[in-house]
Amino acid sequence: MIHEQSQILSKAGKEPGFTVPEGYFEGLTSTIMSRLPEVEITDVEAKPTWWMRVRPYVYLAAMFAGVWCMMTLFNHLNSPMTNLQRVAEIAGGISDEHNADEFVLSSGVDAYDIMTYEDSVYGYMIDSIAGN
Amino acid sequence: MRAVYDEATIVEQLHHPDSARDAFSRVIEHYSSQLYWHIRRLVIDHDDANDVLQNTFIKAWSSIDNFRGDAQLMTWLYKIATNESLTFLNKKKARLGLSLDEEGTEALVADLESDRWFNGDELQVRLQQAIATLPEKQRIVFNMRYYDEMKYEAMSEILGTSVGALKASYHHAVKKIEAFFEQDD
Repeated sequence: MIHEQSQILSKAGKEPGFTVPEGYFEGLTSTIMSRLPEVEITDVEAKPTWWMRVRPYVYLAAMFAGVWCMMTLFNHLNSPMTNLQRVAEIAGGISDEHNADEFVLSSGVDAYDIMTYEDSVYGYMIDSIAGN
Repeated sequence: MRAVYDEATIVEQLHHPDSARDAFSRVIEHYSSQLYWHIRRLVIDHDDANDVLQNTFIKAWSSIDNFRGDAQLMTWLYKIATNESLTFLNKKKARLGLSLDEEGTEALVADLESDRWFNGDELQVRLQQAIATLPEKQRIVFNMRYYDEMKYEAMSEILGTSVGALKASYHHAVKKIEAFFEQDD
């Protein structure tokens, strides 16, 4: 330590030379205790901590977040099929000519859906030929 | 016979209305001497140190409900004691028409030899005079490190200063004290 290298501090030592009246420390506690004001102390078990105070709000926020997540997921699962998915479904349904009528009746596809499907197929064919 | 001082138990008792007062008397008993010397080295005069010490405990008691036990009791009490000492010194210097900086503090130790509660030799008087020339922060750091032999980590918590800065402060303080003696010779 630095002061161990300091000759002056080594010579002076750790006693600053201050003294106190005899018996000073003996009566100190009672002197100070007699001067203490009355204070209201909240029982630690009854006093709410910071977490206890904010906990209901955190739980409420978590509940709303959960409901929002569930609604988002539900909407996502029930979203209408994309055009491509619809075309693929129709293609699968009418590809077997024995079951095509049954598919049309049960799936609710109408003439417009089938026309759209056919347009897509012709478009694909034309693109393919043009590409060749 | 009183039970051994156990800080965790005392802190718990301090937060119960039925046991708080008794627990606080244990705190005073345990820390009064250590805090007295810390204050005394800052304010120099015994009567002043006695007043500041009592005010420190009264202040601590008045805000005991806010002490949650996150820090050690010693750290909390040292903080209060240091602030009370500095506030007291500034008020005293202002009352006596002294400068609020180191010059004012030097004036407070000028008559140390005639103080009836001082029995140090000439070297100790000069050392106190040398310490009085230090800037406030260095003076506190020097006293806590040199006389209390307090660890830098504990000082860092009390003074809210980094360990590195405290080491630098102590180093500068020792150098200035040495320079004071060299200048005097």
